[in-house]
Amino acid sequence: MLLVLSAEHRAHLDCLPRAGGAAVGELGRLALEQLRRGAAPRACESAARKLNISVDIIQHGVEGLVYLLTESSKLMISEVDFQDSIHVLGFSDELNKSLLQLYLDNRKEIRSILGELAPRLPSYHSLEWRLDVQLASRSLRQQIKPAVTMKLHLNQNEDQTAQVLQTDPATLLHLIQQLEQALGEMKMNHCRRIVRNMK
Amino acid sequence: QRFRFCGDLDCPDWVLAEISTLAKISSVKLKLICAQVLRDLLGEAIEYDKILKLTSDAKLESGDVKATIAVLGFILSSAAKHNVDSESLSSELQQLGLPKEHASGLCRSYEEKQSPLQDRLRACSLRLSQLGSVRWRVDYTLSSSELQEVNEPVVHLTFNVRDRECEKMTAVPVTLSANKLWVLLAELKQAQALMNTLL
Repeated sequence: MLLVLSAEHRAHLDCLPRAGGAAVGELGRLALEQLRRGAAPRACESAARKLNISVDIIQHGVEGLVYLLTESSKLMISEVDFQDSIHVLGFSDELNKSLLQLYLDNRKEIRSILGELAPRLPSYHSLEWRLDVQLASRSLRQQIKPAVTMKLHLNQNEDQTAQVLQTDPATLLHLIQQLEQALGEMKMNHCRRIVRNMK
Repeated sequence: QRFRFCGDLDCPDWVLAEISTLAKISSVKLKLICAQVLRDLLGEAIEYDKILKLTSDAKLESGDVKATIAVLGFILSSAAKHNVDSESLSSELQQLGLPKEHASGLCRSYEEKQSPLQDRLRACSLRLSQLGSVRWRVDYTLSSSELQEVNEPVVHLTFNVRDRECEKMTAVPVTLSANKLWVLLAELKQAQALMNTLL
């Protein structure tokens, strides 16, 4: 699969051959830092001063590299396809080789960063529970009504929410039975086959 | 095999695995580490440096130190949770393979702090909201837009309710006429009489 680079993207990456070999390494490093930690304008400014190129061009170059690397890692394109995709930029062979090396060295890390960006549903954090017995109310004395009160703590992208639930013991037993049935499904042949194939 | 301190269930595998780590520490030092873990369970600050010093002789790695704290925390809080007396705890720990001196040292620490620990666990139990304070004011309505001479006493009550989760106080204001206040008082006194029969 080939990457199609837009005209704007190509213009941004045009600063690379002008910067020279060592600079490409520096820009590659900046691009990876931006992927790991987010944009760092001061690092770009100091690189611009060192290489004697304007800050805007450095910024565009770094962003262009970031986009190139994330798109290639996302699609997991092969070496040959990567080389063919950047061939259209008309860079020197040496530059092409450094870009390819940059891609191959960091592909796995970039994919793991991209994997964490997917949205997540609220997930289980902990459960607090309490067993009460209602003995009397304003309307009726001499009762015995057991109830289980639960607080379900959920985690969603570092956000903690809590849900309070209350049930009588019969419903709780039914709930437990349903959950055990769900766990039991994992042991059925159908699930076992899929799990085996995924490993 | 079922253990009382695990709530009449099997002992978790990870606890079994860490018993051998506990045996590596001398029984005197284990009793001192127990004291630190009990401080943590009772809500006071744990002195991690002291624990590191006590475990340095046994040449435990940092993972093992954390595992020691975790397994001691589990044993002590679980025993308190299921109201296990210290002799039963000692014999059950010895069944798991903990040497006699270690078990008796641990159980002596447990016995000293069993009541405060259970009080603390009781206080931490699930509770949805809590009444902080009540403020009141009695006014006398002279007149209103509906009736020129009202001449009635009225009481303003403000219940300050604390939400357990966010430690926030919410004020719930209520205004009552004299008759309504009598009804409220009568009902609450009946509820209080019922509670007193249970104390």
